[in-house]
Amino acid sequence: MNAMNAVKARAGSGNPLRRKTKAMRPWDWSFPSAAVSHREVISAQPAEPSDRPPLLMVHGVAHGAWCFAENWVPAAAEKGWPSYAVSLRGHGGSAGARHLRRTLTRDYVHDVMQTITELPSPPVLIGHSMGAIVAQLVAERYPLRGLVLLAPAPMHSAVGDLIAIAKDRPADLGRAVIGQTLSMEPDILFEGLDATTARAYSDRTGMESPLVQWELLLRRTVGPVRCPVLVIGTPSDRLVRPADVRRTADSYGVEPVWFPGMGHDLMLDAGWDRVLDTVLEFAAELPAWGTAAPR
Amino acid sequence: MCGMAEPTPETTVHPQAPAPPTAPKPRRRTPAKKAAGAAAGDGAPAFVDRGDAWAVVGAGPHGMSALKALLQNGIEADGFERESDVGGNWNFGAENSRVYESTHLISSKPFTQFPDFPMPDAYPDYPSHRQVKDYFGRYADHFGLRARIRFSTDVVGAVPVADGRAWDVTVRDRTTAAETTYRYAGLVVGNGHNWSPKQPTYPGQDTFGGEIIHSADYKGAEVLRGKRVLVVGAGNTGCDVAVESAQNAVHTWHSTRRGYYYNPKYMTGRPSDQVADSLLALKIPLPVRRAMFKGSLRFAVGDLTKFGLKKPDHKFFETHPIVNQQLVYYVGHGDITPSEDIDHFEHDAVVFTDGTRAEVDLVVFCTGYLVSFPFLDHAWLNWHDDHPQLFLQIFTPAFDNLVVSGLIQPDSGQWTLAHWQGMLIARVAEALRQRPGAARGFLSRASAEADRRFSAGTEYKNSTRHYYEVAHQDYLGVLQDAIRELEVSA
Repeated sequence: MNAMNAVKARAGSGNPLRRKTKAMRPWDWSFPSAAVSHREVISAQPAEPSDRPPLLMVHGVAHGAWCFAENWVPAAAEKGWPSYAVSLRGHGGSAGARHLRRTLTRDYVHDVMQTITELPSPPVLIGHSMGAIVAQLVAERYPLRGLVLLAPAPMHSAVGDLIAIAKDRPADLGRAVIGQTLSMEPDILFEGLDATTARAYSDRTGMESPLVQWELLLRRTVGPVRCPVLVIGTPSDRLVRPADVRRTADSYGVEPVWFPGMGHDLMLDAGWDRVLDTVLEFAAELPAWGTAAPR
Repeated sequence: MCGMAEPTPETTVHPQAPAPPTAPKPRRRTPAKKAAGAAAGDGAPAFVDRGDAWAVVGAGPHGMSALKALLQNGIEADGFERESDVGGNWNFGAENSRVYESTHLISSKPFTQFPDFPMPDAYPDYPSHRQVKDYFGRYADHFGLRARIRFSTDVVGAVPVADGRAWDVTVRDRTTAAETTYRYAGLVVGNGHNWSPKQPTYPGQDTFGGEIIHSADYKGAEVLRGKRVLVVGAGNTGCDVAVESAQNAVHTWHSTRRGYYYNPKYMTGRPSDQVADSLLALKIPLPVRRAMFKGSLRFAVGDLTKFGLKKPDHKFFETHPIVNQQLVYYVGHGDITPSEDIDHFEHDAVVFTDGTRAEVDLVVFCTGYLVSFPFLDHAWLNWHDDHPQLFLQIFTPAFDNLVVSGLIQPDSGQWTLAHWQGMLIARVAEALRQRPGAARGFLSRASAEADRRFSAGTEYKNSTRHYYEVAHQDYLGVLQDAIRELEVSA
């Protein structure tokens, strides 16, 4: 079933309507993101060198490269894919925690672009949650091989998710409004893990930039994304509503692939291997760079 | 503005260069289908029909960005480069490279880099030519361009065939001297415009006993050491050389046609082009921006005529910006004497138009470069007066499938524009193939608007260097609209 959906997803590599190329970025030129002294990139290479495109994974709110390094990076390398996960500034092992309070989403875009230029060839970019927004903003600037959005935070504003969170756990909303990090308790992120493991993962989450959290409420448009897109969600997500996942998928003209019974952290929760298989199936079918027949 | 007097860095293809006199090897077999053509051994070039593919001449930044954009959009393309590496003008030491030992960018990173391949965070605001070359190498590696480029290959001729629907491009391998003609659906010319020196002549120059060089041959300060030097020209190279001369020579004269504004590299702790663009982003009108920049220079440096420099005869933003903080400093130290135009040469001296005389050992002409496409008939490029008039500085009214990349001199960084030129070229190539009607509709404007300038409201000084001057915000906005137009009709 997943394979079927992946095929459908590939078929719709279309250009969402009313998204136009943006060449003028005067604010990016005049106020470039500050450099960070250290950027953590965790990688694993396949035993045999392959001509497969690298996979680059970008985490979401309060996570770090570790959430992909735990399972996906080694497992994908095992299956022959050069795999990389980056910690955005102020997260995981990357520098920048001191300036987290004035970090913006565009700084994360800068971090991912910098990481991409260090890769041997154009990657398949995998963004989770807030990292999916970063990934889409990268996709409008850079010719990715493919774009994978895991439980993507919505580009069309997360107000709906905020209301859902308010109904579900009002205290958390209050914290977010005053700039504290959204709750990353085990029951919010996971469905199928034993309590100890879930708690351990939850404890590894850190702080998020309040500005970035508030920015999630903004409605953003992106330029044309011309690479194939795969959207993956879970119906039982307690952070991103399934309706929003569907809307994101619609904007690319693709059908989302669902993984019922899993929590928001699709790369850590029980069943992560099936999600990864779907991603790798999608990646294996991508047209070679430079021969991609655009729509 | 990337570090040269007329600072556009591109690759150079110089067809007249003689092939090394090695015995011709058996003609290389190209894996592509070998069409009917000269059989090996009859002296005529081998012929290969590359079908729908496009050719890109030059593997400098403009050639590479066009090649990448074509490939990225699913259009087969081959590059040709006379040197053995990418980088074009920035390939320091190569025959047609015009950078010198101390060349650094004069526009800061965010404006200058390819927007889809930013320069590393570890680079300074104004990287050196070595870092730039390295950057281009990594760009070529990352996007797999090297496999698509034939290095050490001169393009010796290109002619339209089949009523202009295709181009026959003849190339000569610089090691074997073997010639091959390839047929392409389109041709991108990215051979650069900063390699063919513009050399002035003055009365008495022949009998001058000292040495005369063009900045094209200036590679480093050692030629200046211990000499009395005259530097001619106040482009960015002229000012760089004058400063290096002040640091190394016995004495320096600096002859300029007119007075200029010497912009600092930094203002308020930020690269000054970033400060300038914040004002642009805030949509501050031109007269106000002019007044602010003039005012800040007036405050920081003051009246240049007090240093013996000429008063600028033009308004701010009307000439290509000069970014040099050190020139005025060395004038103030007495190491540089500002001078008038040259009137004539004597055996051991130069006489200026105001009658003053300077005894010099070395004259460095930093007088810029002329545009040259030796492998093309200039008529195809809508040549008027002494320069091509091209729609958006890219498209010629004569052909749909002949485009020029890099014939621009922005008041900002170069390669962001190179990227978007490449993207537009790829869109047009794609449209020509898939939606010829839309492409023709777009290109039909080429004849009507070929003389359009992109000066953002200012009036550029009329000189050969300003034929290609563009205001980056104005030009990029029009490129963006053109790309969107071809997208919308998708």
